[in-house]
Amino acid sequence: MSRQAATAAALLPEPIAPAPGAPRRLKPVTAPARRAKPKLAYALIALGGAAAIGIAQIGLSLAITQDSFVLADLTSQQRELDLQASALQDDLAGTSSPQLLATKASELGMVVAGSASYLRLSDSTVLGPNTGADGKSTIDPNGSGAVYNALLNQKADAAAAANDAEASANDTADAVDPNLPPPITDGLPSPTTR
Amino acid sequence: MTTRATRGPRRRTVVALAVILAVLSAFVVRLVDIQVVSANEHVEDSLQVGKLGSTVTLPGNRGSIVDANGTVLASSVTVYDAQLDPMLIASLEDDEDDPPKTSWSEAADMIAAITGQDADDLRAGVAATLESDPASRYLPLKKGLSTEKFLELRDLGLVYLDMLPRETRVYPNGAVAGNIIGYVDSAGVGQSGVEQLEKQCLSPVNGERTYLRGKDGNIIPGSDRTVAAENGGSVQLTINSDLQWYLTQMISEEAQKMGAKAGTVTVVEVKTGKIRAAAEWPAMDPNDLNSSSPEDWGTRVFGSWFEPGSTFKAVTAAAVLDAGAADLNTTVSANGRETFPNGAVINDPFRHDTYQYRLAGALIDSSNVALSKFGTLIDAQTRYDYIQKFGFGQETIGFPRENPGLVHPANAWDSQTLYTTTFGQALTVTAPQVAGAYQAIANGGEKIDLSLIESCTLDDGTVVDPEAPKREQVVSEQTAAEVSRILENVSVQGGLSQQIEVPGYRVASKTGTAQKADAGGYIAGKYFTSMVGFAPVDDPQYVVVVTLDEPTKVVSSAATASAFQQSMTQVLKTYRVSPSTVPMDELLPKFE
Repeated sequence: MSRQAATAAALLPEPIAPAPGAPRRLKPVTAPARRAKPKLAYALIALGGAAAIGIAQIGLSLAITQDSFVLADLTSQQRELDLQASALQDDLAGTSSPQLLATKASELGMVVAGSASYLRLSDSTVLGPNTGADGKSTIDPNGSGAVYNALLNQKADAAAAANDAEASANDTADAVDPNLPPPITDGLPSPTTR
Repeated sequence: MTTRATRGPRRRTVVALAVILAVLSAFVVRLVDIQVVSANEHVEDSLQVGKLGSTVTLPGNRGSIVDANGTVLASSVTVYDAQLDPMLIASLEDDEDDPPKTSWSEAADMIAAITGQDADDLRAGVAATLESDPASRYLPLKKGLSTEKFLELRDLGLVYLDMLPRETRVYPNGAVAGNIIGYVDSAGVGQSGVEQLEKQCLSPVNGERTYLRGKDGNIIPGSDRTVAAENGGSVQLTINSDLQWYLTQMISEEAQKMGAKAGTVTVVEVKTGKIRAAAEWPAMDPNDLNSSSPEDWGTRVFGSWFEPGSTFKAVTAAAVLDAGAADLNTTVSANGRETFPNGAVINDPFRHDTYQYRLAGALIDSSNVALSKFGTLIDAQTRYDYIQKFGFGQETIGFPRENPGLVHPANAWDSQTLYTTTFGQALTVTAPQVAGAYQAIANGGEKIDLSLIESCTLDDGTVVDPEAPKREQVVSEQTAAEVSRILENVSVQGGLSQQIEVPGYRVASKTGTAQKADAGGYIAGKYFTSMVGFAPVDDPQYVVVVTLDEPTKVVSSAATASAFQQSMTQVLKTYRVSPSTVPMDELLPKFE
């Protein structure tokens, strides 16, 4: 304590001393005061609250976990569908090409003709060559000038391979062992008499 | 009260509290630091350094290339590289307590049936690998399997069969515009064509996904962090793929008919400068590079140069008319062979007496001598400036490995070159440059820089348009009209008028034949023929340039006539161009 604090304490009024002869206010305790009974409701509320929080927590956690399973499930479905979509897309590659269209059209007897004619509505004049297509194509999509498309060739190869496989499968099915008697299809063979 | 006795314990309490507070606040500071300030770093540490989480790269897809109408010309697909784990096969086979459901021998049959390989080879391959290294875990099975095959193989449920996805490019139209589109290398980097030109737009940015897995393999909620991949943008070209197909097919037939080494067709829209087709033969199919020879992997349209020959005479005519040195009535006298005052000797392709040629006649007869005289009515530097303004000697669109051609500066022209440059010799050009020059003539003298890229659409849908092409009035409108009229007269009065007629349309055109040269000079009998023109003359819409490299069946400019006629017919039909309704002006006289 500093000197200043000591001086301040010295300036305080003297504490009032208890009057001599007055009865003492403090007495020894004979028995402890009876404690008020704790209210059960408070305890129940507190415990219930804690339990409710705990249950809510577990519930939320479960819900999130459940969602995680659903999500995983949907994600794998999505992946599967994407794969199928891209497999189908692969099948289409090349099918949309002008080469295939031209080949198919020429198989149907269609030609790429020369100039087109136009009908002017205002005075019903036909502009242009005013003739129809002469049935001759200006190009031959199957000839030596055919524009190459590896995708179509792969498809054609695959189709040919599939045909071969099918044909050979049919061959084996039709093949007959010459050592076996011919199969009976129309009842028992019998001599034809007239 | 502040006795010596009470002062001691209180001070101790204060000190103890202070210490506790200090420790507590240190913890709080550290906690805030961990949880708030550097939370992200710690999470990353926990996921990566701790090896608790898995990180996968999410690959972005390279963008597609589409034509002017949205037809897909190039796109990315996933293919699978399958591989076997021989050690695992062996250990499963050897496990007598729990033999595999499908034995390796049966599995090999099933795999072979799907991949189209030989089952015996497979079994032998695995056996051989195991023999050389019993711990081998890698035997490549087949690369580039389609998704369909992947699904079939996956459904076999074989643990030792692993299939790694890989992105590859598919070009649905094959060799249609293949040379323009270009190709990518195995790392997916564009190596030529638009694939290289537009790499910035097409390239994807890979993403990343980091997560923790529970014991059952499910992702632990809240641990999943994903940085999405950005797919590459989609590039739209100005090319019309249907027209491109027809022209590729046609030039391929024509070039073979003429016994040529190669041929090209270039189509440019007059009012916009957009390249609508750039076809060539032999063409390259980027799906299967090995189906074409490596010299066909680039593009001849942009990459190969030639001496233009007579098609260049229109440029000389435009320069002379625009400079005011001559008009349609100006005449020069020209013999079939003349020696000029500076010693240069110029020949015409045919012998003739001295004619008093007008400019129209000089172009119709394609007289080199007459053009030499017209061309030198203006000084060499002026003519050179016009050649520059028409776009020769410069790249047109900056295509990968585009050839800028070669035009020597006027002061480097020698006595012979001074004249030969008037009719397209001693300088080299590319087909797009010729198309660009004729575009200016057809468009009233306004040259619009050529363009091949319409736009780039980013993954998020933002459309990025390229810079608007530069427009420049290179010659006056009147000059352009006069040159157009001359070129129409060339079509009508020239020797090929029957062959190049497109019924219903007024066509302006000019042929060009130039002897091919090598280091030693011109090669006898080897020509590069070309034909350029536009239609309809009353309202020009499209410029078509056809070239043939070394035609052998017909070596003159007539070689290209049929290809030009078919190209022009198809172009006008494709774009539904209305036939000409304004009749042609009276024919221009050739001579005085």
